[in-house]
Amino acid sequence: MSGEGEGRKRISMLYKLWVLAYRDLGRNRRRTIMTTVAVALGLALLILMNGYIAGVMDGALQNNIRLKTGHVQIRASSYNEADLSLQWRDLLSEPAQIVARASAMPEVRAAAPVLWAGGVIATSNDSLGLQITGIDTASAIYDPIRSAMVAGDFLAADDRSGILIGQHLAEDLGLGLGRDVSLTVVDSDGQADEGIFTVRGLFNTGIPSYDESTVLMPLSKAQAFARADKRASAIILMLNSQESTASVVAALQSPGVQVLTWSDMNQLIVQTLQSSLAFYYILDGVVILIVAVIIANTLLMSVFERIREMGILSALGMKGYHLTQMLLLEATCLGLGGIALGLILGLSGVAYITYVGIPIGDLASAAGNSVALGSTIYGRFVPDTFAGLSLATLLIILAASLYPAWYASRLEPAEALRG
Amino acid sequence: MDAIRLDHVSKIYHVGAVETRALNDVSLSIGEGEFTALVGPSGSGKTTLLQLIGCLDKPDAGAVKIKGQDVTRFSANQRADLRRTSIGFVFQFFALVPVLTAYENVELPLLLSGVKPSERRERVNGLMRAVGLEDRANHRPDQLSGGQQQRVAIARALAPRPVLVLADEPTANLDTANGQQAMEIMERLNKETGTAFVYATHDPRVIAYARRVVKMQDGAIVDAGVA
Repeated sequence: MSGEGEGRKRISMLYKLWVLAYRDLGRNRRRTIMTTVAVALGLALLILMNGYIAGVMDGALQNNIRLKTGHVQIRASSYNEADLSLQWRDLLSEPAQIVARASAMPEVRAAAPVLWAGGVIATSNDSLGLQITGIDTASAIYDPIRSAMVAGDFLAADDRSGILIGQHLAEDLGLGLGRDVSLTVVDSDGQADEGIFTVRGLFNTGIPSYDESTVLMPLSKAQAFARADKRASAIILMLNSQESTASVVAALQSPGVQVLTWSDMNQLIVQTLQSSLAFYYILDGVVILIVAVIIANTLLMSVFERIREMGILSALGMKGYHLTQMLLLEATCLGLGGIALGLILGLSGVAYITYVGIPIGDLASAAGNSVALGSTIYGRFVPDTFAGLSLATLLIILAASLYPAWYASRLEPAEALRG
Repeated sequence: MDAIRLDHVSKIYHVGAVETRALNDVSLSIGEGEFTALVGPSGSGKTTLLQLIGCLDKPDAGAVKIKGQDVTRFSANQRADLRRTSIGFVFQFFALVPVLTAYENVELPLLLSGVKPSERRERVNGLMRAVGLEDRANHRPDQLSGGQQQRVAIARALAPRPVLVLADEPTANLDTANGQQAMEIMERLNKETGTAFVYATHDPRVIAYARRVVKMQDGAIVDAGVA
């Protein structure tokens, strides 16, 4: 027989096996539905978990980049972030030059100097340690704060006494717009300097850990207050694309400075992300294994129930590998049905947590001080991951069906006919 | 020429420590086109003998030859090929594939043999007519009576144009009228197609259709009859 004829024969046979497999699934509808739903729930859970963790981690990372670190920072070689040092040797002496150089790069969306100082805010009733941040009020870097203003006005560059504080901090300290507060900072000479400032505006970024620990004031005022002259702790760069970080960093390297990437500055989040992913991979594996056991059990039950029928098919001349194919097709039907339903359920869940979010409350989000968690956690669509999980589910289903299929293919016809 | 020849065939079943000798040194020849009844009480070895002839099982000793070939040396796949092309089966419990229609059940062995669609249609329709079920072709087994199911099984057994059809108690689950109809169809198709039929039974009314009667008892042939 010609190759074409052989091919047609195989297609006819495969089609008939497919019909048999499909109709066999319809025999015990309840079991088929339950198994499909089990596969679907397993996959939906995987998609939801992965969409959630991707959203949490990516959200926290982007919040940190947006509000704290930027994509790239340039600091003096000796600057140590943990000390918030104001020693001149630890600060950049010519920040304007670096800003100009960075701003000229097409990859850079905005660049601005910043001065950080540890300080204490005090009212007549309370006091609190926090970070004082001197900012270039005209820079686009602070657009997120501008858009997060809930009361008062954003700072003007020449404001000599105004500050912005988070709404949460204002509530904690019982402050409102126009109220005066005392700020104390240990200046570059190691002396404690105190100044009285007026609350010009309140912001609410949605990140309680940031809003409760940050005071913003114009850079020039911060430099004067901390006796830092025209110096800056760092230059913060926001890029047009996170992917161009490496090329920007390479271009900005120069003696006496350290150029840090968003990844360097968010080590905690990146490491947490990696360890979380490892944990989630284990969870993924457990869920997929449960699905595999359910499928294997369903198909085995189905084989045991149909042993006599398989004997009949053998008696008609059906070979072991045809029975194997038939069961693998049944598993494929079950798997594809379950995966389709699982995708609908899982993606609906991810859509909900992506667009509506899960409120976790201010306390819970503030607990992660180094990780900028919002008071509402949002998920994220990660199509590659979801496709990978769907494929892994299908493959494990097929793997799980191999034993029942092998069992069926090894049945002796006479033994099978006896049931 | 013999369609089938059994030489000194024995079969022993082991259930736990218990050994049951189902067939003991059986020799038998079945010629082409025969219509043979295999008779004997329950446990006499009729079903085991049919299973060995039908390549559904292997003997523990002796040889089973079909069209001159010793099938006891065949692999599982070779035996499956032989069943598909040369042997048809009719079982007591009808044994149709429940998820397929009557037409599809008859068509299945032809699909397994790779028969072309046009020829498949022609053969299946012809057989459905021959068993008087052309109007039930699209019904599934659970929509057919026992007698109708057995007629579909007979059509299916004959679809690949086998040398031999083996029927194990084909009327045992049928009432008298349906049993008689099934036997008349088998007898007619035996004459029309020249296919040999060997059927096991202990019903005297069914034995009466046979042109040769082989009597069995305790795993042995006590009377091989005359063809």
